[in-house]
Order: sequence, then structure tokens, then C-alpha cells
Amino acid sequence: MVQSVKPVASTWCPGCGDFGVLAAVKKAVAEAGVPVHEEVLVGGIGCSGGIHNFIETNGIHALHGRLLAQAVGIKLSNPGLTVIAAGGDGDGYAIGMGHFMHAFKKNVSLLYIVMNNETYGLTKGQASPTSRIGYEGNIEHPFDAILTALSIPVPNFIARTFSGDPKTMIQVLVEAIKFNRANHGFAFVEDLSPCVTYNDTFKDWRARVVDVATLPGYNPADRQTMFRLCVETMQAGKIPIGVMHRPAAPDPSSPGLELKLLPDKIGPARADIGLESNRVAYEKLLRTAA
Amino acid sequence: MTTPAAKTTPVPGESGGPGAPARPKELTDLAVMIGGQGGDGTLTVSDLLGRYFRKRGLYIYTSRNVLSRIRGGHADATMRASRDPVAAVKPDVELIVAFDKEAAEIGRSELSPDGAILYDSSVFQLDLPNSVGFPFATLVGGAVGQPIFKNTAAYGAISVMMGFDPTQTRAVIEERFTRRGPEALEKNLKALEIGRKAALEVPGLADRWHVADGEAQHQILTIGNQAVALGFVVGGGRFFAGYPITPATEIMEYLMRYLPAFHGVVRQAEDELAAVNMIIGAAYAGARVMTSTSGPGLSLMTEGIGHAGTAEVPILVADCQRVGPSTGEPTRHEQSDLAHLAHLGHGEYPRVIVAPGTVEDCFEITIEALNLAERWRLPVILLLDQALCQNTTTAEPFNLSKVVVDRGTRLTAEQVAKLDVYQHYQFTPNGVSPYVPPGTPGVFSQVTGNEHNEMGHVSVNPVNRVKMMEKRMGKLIHIVPELPVPHLFGDERAKIGIIGYGSTFGPIREAQGALDRAGVKTRFYNARTLFPVPKESLDPFLSAMDVVYVVEHNYTGQFADLIRSALPQHHAKLRSIRKYDGDSFRSPEIVAPIQGGQ
Repeated sequence: MVQSVKPVASTWCPGCGDFGVLAAVKKAVAEAGVPVHEEVLVGGIGCSGGIHNFIETNGIHALHGRLLAQAVGIKLSNPGLTVIAAGGDGDGYAIGMGHFMHAFKKNVSLLYIVMNNETYGLTKGQASPTSRIGYEGNIEHPFDAILTALSIPVPNFIARTFSGDPKTMIQVLVEAIKFNRANHGFAFVEDLSPCVTYNDTFKDWRARVVDVATLPGYNPADRQTMFRLCVETMQAGKIPIGVMHRPAAPDPSSPGLELKLLPDKIGPARADIGLESNRVAYEKLLRTAA
Repeated sequence: MTTPAAKTTPVPGESGGPGAPARPKELTDLAVMIGGQGGDGTLTVSDLLGRYFRKRGLYIYTSRNVLSRIRGGHADATMRASRDPVAAVKPDVELIVAFDKEAAEIGRSELSPDGAILYDSSVFQLDLPNSVGFPFATLVGGAVGQPIFKNTAAYGAISVMMGFDPTQTRAVIEERFTRRGPEALEKNLKALEIGRKAALEVPGLADRWHVADGEAQHQILTIGNQAVALGFVVGGGRFFAGYPITPATEIMEYLMRYLPAFHGVVRQAEDELAAVNMIIGAAYAGARVMTSTSGPGLSLMTEGIGHAGTAEVPILVADCQRVGPSTGEPTRHEQSDLAHLAHLGHGEYPRVIVAPGTVEDCFEITIEALNLAERWRLPVILLLDQALCQNTTTAEPFNLSKVVVDRGTRLTAEQVAKLDVYQHYQFTPNGVSPYVPPGTPGVFSQVTGNEHNEMGHVSVNPVNRVKMMEKRMGKLIHIVPELPVPHLFGDERAKIGIIGYGSTFGPIREAQGALDRAGVKTRFYNARTLFPVPKESLDPFLSAMDVVYVVEHNYTGQFADLIRSALPQHHAKLRSIRKYDGDSFRSPEIVAPIQGGQ
């Protein structure tokens, strides 16, 4: 094999929740059977966004907040790639909020992992969109991405994991990657990934997380039920985690966007753009278009 | 039914008033302005006239003056028909067709001395010399039941005034309206006859002008935006993302029609931030890509274009300039983004700006720009302007004779397998590193907008930083021999030079003709590469001249400034001809300052 990428040592603080995500992504990709050269990791800006540098894989380090737009471009250009975008809560829910909302609407079959630590760690601990009231003087209400995701009726995969529970995280990521590789649509996983330096919530979160699958009436195919279970859990001072939505069965009439656009899966990156192979079609186009 | 009488005012001059014997004035170049409220069908009249004149072998150039609203408000179009190829708005107008009073008021200043105003007297009255009122809406409303067909009636009246061949006049209506069904066709034919009859009843109105037939037969009617879209497809472009914005939107709309047949993808993004980042992702994955926008969108894309510059991702950004800054005048013409583009973004990175001068050139340069972007792995800006993007022009049919698809060094899996090491940002003599698309077995690529080492890992090593800066910036030196060369026109011995780019091409060529007839020899440098400033061709051009006029649509003389800073030794020779009222140059506006020696 050609020497092309040497993973570098991580820049994260010892004990950072992001290590859990890094390990889980590596294991999940292997377990889902993704050929390594078909994997593309899209990193955002912030501590978590460096993740692609720490794995031997294809990677693109996007602009702050723009990783989903780049990930969509990659997948629609070559649907054969397994695209995993990974960034932080500031990246995804503040500067990247527009792209986040539209990612649900687009429903491209790629995995988006948000490592939520409820702070801006890299810039030394400012309040983020998910910060609780009172954190670093925050007086704005925290944003909840799972409730938002559940409110958008699209056949997709939604889950929340906790870095303190790597086993479940791997299971969830494997399911998400398989969902993508079957062209079923977008997969969104928010991981609760504490910042041990500026917002060490490991203990607090471990005590408060509740796996929604253990709740009476759990039915991830039914958004209304899941929305109610999440709200009730939050009202009880707990944090709902687990698989929040998956369609009861794949709907062949509503696949991921890449399949709607490119039924034969030959996308722009793999199209033959040679002049000779297209000459007849081009001549017809030029004759009839103008 | 009684026909309401036509209202006319005497027409001075030798053609006489109503009742005077008709003596047609022979023309080889004619302009008709048609204006009214949005929804009056002014564009239909322009289209019908264009179709007729094309049947007679004439070249067409149509400009539009519309407001940024869907319905209502004044809108007008000016249709020019000429025996010679034209790419400019005619300085004067022979006929104004006014469906509202504003049309007459706006058009009057450009009405030729023996021109006429044809207006709808069922809507308003005009007491201007040379005006002829017909109650088109009332006439058509009574006979057809729908006053909306008044535009076809106006076309009928014009056909009489210009001595059109009746069979071909009718054929145009059939061509245009058969698609709409037999009822629509029948009503339009009825409206046509109403207009013709009304005009024939006014003594002296028929055969006021005759336009000589031309020889343009095989040419097509198109706009710059369509030429760009077609160039993109045949140049191998397969991924486009954009956000609707005037005057760029047609590029996206054409590509939505063309690209799906070629494994291509067109996406309307949520904003320009997403559009530019989507094409960056698609280009990283290995597609030929483009986005198109205008000033406000360009401002948003600035972040992404810089990212592409330092991450070395080949993207093409078409900027259809309009009046700025901020929302400016969305539908109006300007060339005021160049200074921004030349220095686009924070930090320093290489970018190339190319600018076509004609619709044919839009097709050609788009293909060249795609090759430049991929060969040199940098962002290329295709600089357009509203007039070039949207004015309808008769053009030579596009063909594949000059099409070359050159993707630069792109390694296959077999080539990669022979390497010991592949590094996405490998240092090379010309700064371009070989590219391998992700998905190629046995190899990975790491791409980032952070400063990085050859392997694509984040690095703040000062030695590496200097080498990487020199690698990227050095491309601007090595690329020079491949950049689009200028087109030169006029007298090779002339001592008066003119420099322009984009849609100023047409007015400058016309001004050269007028100056030549007045005994003033000029040489025109039509710039097709604007940045890096093409010193290699500009320096000898400027050296050979006594004085050089840079013609552009902005307040500060942005292109002149770029030239001055690149070639300060010619500073004293440079003059500036600028226009920034939102409208394109009329040739006399270029002729006058040159003749006046300003």
C-alpha cells in the first residue's frame, strides 16, 4: 500500500469525550464493512473538527460551520463514498445552523456526528448554543437538536449517544453507516462529549442520561411518541439518549437524495467527461438548446 | 362595432403628417423600444419583432429594463435589428411603443429626430410631436374579448409602419402561438389583423421605414448566461450548486435542463455559503464544478473561495456583475466587482479572473476556465456583467471545434500503486501537486484550509509555511502562458488605444467604427484575462500607444487602477471612461471623450 496519510497525535486534552467518538468511528466503520478507501471524513472547525487527522482515511477539513455543505457536495458527486461529517455544537448549531436544518430537508445519505460539549472549548470556554442558562453568564435558552430533528418529518436516522457509553455508541454508528450505505437517507447522531477542561459534565451526564429504549411506549418509527418521551424525560431533569428515529421499513419511493438524482449511482466525479465519448450528445445539445 | 378613431399628432419633417404621401426611409439598423406595465406583454412584442427580423436575415440585440418585482411597475425592452453583427444598444431609437406613459417619457430622450411614438390611447393620451395613438386595449377587448392581446395588435400596427411582408408577419404569430393551442392562436391572429387595419386606416402611417434584408441565416439567438451553461456542459462540468440571484439565475436554470442527461447534478442551495462549499466538496471528490452568483452572493462566497485557494480545490465561480454594493440595483448593469475579486478574501492565495467579451466568448472561456482550474488546482472567477449575461444577441452557433478537456495530473489507481508515497500537497516545480480522487483503492488524501504540510496535516512550521506560500502563489507566475489572450481590433498603427472587457466589447467596437469614419484611428485591447494583470500583452500594447482609454462601468476606474499598479511606467498614458448609471454604454459616450482628447 502507498504511504499517503500518517495519522497524527491528537490535540485533545487527556480525558476528552471526543476520544470516545474517535474510537467508536474507527470500530463502526470496520464493523459496517466500509472499504477504507471509500471512507471520507469531513471535519469542522473546533477541537472536534480535527478528528480526520487522527485516522488513516480520506479527509477534508471544512470551513467553520460549512462541513455539511461540503459533505453533501462529496456524496452527490460520488455516491459510492461513505461520507461522515463530524464537528462540534458551535460549528453545527451556531454558525452552521442554516446548513444543519437544510441537511434534514435534503436527506442525503451521509452521517453527521455532532460532538456536543455545551461550550466553545478551543476558544477557551464561551457559551455555545447548547449551554445551560448560567454557564459563563449565558442567559439564552439552550438549543435541543434532537427535538428539532424529530420535528422534521423526513425518513432518516436520528440518535443521541454519550461518550461515557462507547459500546452503545458503536452500535448506533454501525446502524447509521449501514443506513447511509443502503441509500436510505441522512443519519444524525449527537454525541454528548464532555469538555474536561471548560465544562466537565461527565459525572453529571452519567447520572442523568436515560436510554429512551427503556421507556414505556418506545417506538422510534413514531416521531410524535419520541418527541413526547424526550420532552417528558427532559422535564424530569434527565437527558434522553438512544435511537430517536428510524423508519419502520425502508421506503423505496423516498430514498436518499443521491439516489433520486443519480439512480445508476454514477455521479459527477465518476462521469466520463471526455469530448469524444460525449460528442454525439453534445452536438445534439448545441443544436437544440440555442 | 364602431372603431374608435386613432389619435395622431402631426409628424414634422419631409415624411409629413397624416395624409402626406408615404416615403419610406431605408434603414440598415433600427431600434424599437417597447415599454409598459409588467404584464402588458412588452417582451412579447420585442420577441415577435425579433422573430420577424431574423426571418429577414438581420442580426438582433435586445436589452431589457425591468424592475426587481414579479408583476406591475414599468418595464421596457429595446430591440435592435441590423444588417451587421451588433452587440450594443443602439444610441437612438426609431420607434417607441408605449403601453404606459412612462415608456414614452423614458424613451423620448433617445428617440431619433424622425422617430415616432406609437401608444395605447385607451390607457392614456400623449400630446407629443410624432406620436400616434391607437386604443389597442379597447379595440382588442371588443373584438377578441381580452384586451391582453393588445401587444399582438401593436405588432400588427408596427408591421404596417415598417412595410413588413404580410405572410411572414403572420407566420411569426403562428410560430410563436401554435404551442399555446388553437384558441390562443386564433385570438392572436385576430388581434394582429385589428392592429394592421387600424394602422392602414391612418393616412401616411404605412411604410414609414423599410429595413433592408440581411444575410444572417444560420446564426442563433442566445444570451451570455446560456452560452456559459453550454460551455460548462461540453467543457466537462458536471456539478453545479447555486442560489437564485439576478442576473445569474439563468445559468442554474439552463443547467437544470442540461446536466441530468450527463450524470450531472444541479442543486439549488440554501444560500451562497452552502453553494460554494457544495462545489468545493464535489471538486474534492473529483467533479468539474461551478457556481454562479452576483455581488451579494459573491460577498458570501468570499470565505469559501479563499478556502478553495489555500486547500487547492479547483472551482469555477461565475460572477454576473450588477449594480452594487449591498442589494444595489439587482436588474441593472455595472462592472464594479473587479477590485474586490482581485483582492478577494482574507489572507493571500492565487486566483485567476477571466472575462469573455461576447456570447461566443462566454462559451469558449468557460471551457478554458474549467481547464485552468483543474490543471492548476485553484479558484477561477468567470467575470461577467448584466448586459452580457442577459441581453439577447444573434451569435454564431456554438460548436465543438475548439473544445479541449484537460484535467491536469490526475493519477489512476494503477499509477498510484507504483508510488511509494503519495502526498496530496507534494511540492513540485510549478506548484501543482498530482491529484487522486478519494475512493481510489490503496491511497488516501487529506485536504484542509488550515496551513498544512505536504501530507495535508495541519502545520505551523515556519519553514513549511514559507514553502507552501511559495508553492501556491508561484502558480500565478507559472500559469501565465496558459491564460486566455486578449483579442485585438482596429488599426495596428493607431496611437490611440482602448481597453475594455465584458459587454463593453460591443459599444467599443461600434465606437471604433464611428471614430474611423471621422478619421480617428484606434486599437482595441479586449482583455480576456484580468487577473493576474496580463502584463505580457499589456506592456507592449501600452508602449505602442500615445494615449489609452480604459472603458468600464464603475465610479473609481477599477481596471485602470489594476493596470496602473501592475505597469506604473505607463501611468501617464492612461485615461478612464467610466459609466455607473446602471445602463450600458452607448457608443457616442465612448466616441465623444476620445474625439475630445479628454
